[in-house]
Amino acid sequence: MRRLYLIGFPLLMAFDTLAQLSFKMAGSHALPVEANLAWLLRVFGHPWIYGALIGYIGAFFTWMSLLEHAPIGPAFAASHLEVVSVMLLSAWLFHEPLTLARVAGALLILAGIACLGVAESREGAAAAREPAAAG
Amino acid sequence: MPPLALALWLFNVVIDTGGQLAFKAAAGHPQAGEGLARWRHMARRPWLWIGIGCYVAEFLAWIAFLSLVPLSEGVLLGSINIVALMLAGRLLFGEKLTRLRVIGMLLVSVGVAVVGAGA
Repeated sequence: MRRLYLIGFPLLMAFDTLAQLSFKMAGSHALPVEANLAWLLRVFGHPWIYGALIGYIGAFFTWMSLLEHAPIGPAFAASHLEVVSVMLLSAWLFHEPLTLARVAGALLILAGIACLGVAESREGAAAAREPAAAG
Repeated sequence: MPPLALALWLFNVVIDTGGQLAFKAAAGHPQAGEGLARWRHMARRPWLWIGIGCYVAEFLAWIAFLSLVPLSEGVLLGSINIVALMLAGRLLFGEKLTRLRVIGMLLVSVGVAVVGAGA
């Protein structure tokens, strides 16, 4: 279980991040935004939209694999790791400002996910003790 | 917030939470099996498709919502979904709300809201 989470959540973050950055790339290459076929053709004529597609499909299969065992409440919260990675990469790639509030928010998300990680390893340890106690 | 935006936001909370719960119902089925058999099992049952349907509806509702409120406000309100799913997981799947889990989920939720407010 532990290994599943340690591989699954970073993989989910990578796919989600790829999707978001690709959307941004595809969108900014297809400017101006218009509600017509020409805009759709500009979006789908650009290779980045396929990065978004790969990201979406990869994230879907990773998420469904994680949910086989992961509880939905904590797992959904932990999936927001993506917010931190997208923020850092946007600062680097698109020169979006890293404000104090954003950095503080990112640190809160990381602290929360650390708590969830500790909680899960405690749950795992408790579950491992139970059958031994019963037997 | 205009009434239409409020309605769209509430719709988003319900549909996002519902969709995730449907995914969990599909993925966590105890008799689903392993590997490819597990995917066939999921594809033959409605939960996976309900989840995907919710995703599509949510995508459209979210775009409509963001056209009415600023993005920062949108991200801020989106963090409520984490709390909604925490409570729904407890009610429907009997997920344990240990103190550490609640603290973790609330920290992530506040963090997402702060990132949104700072955008």
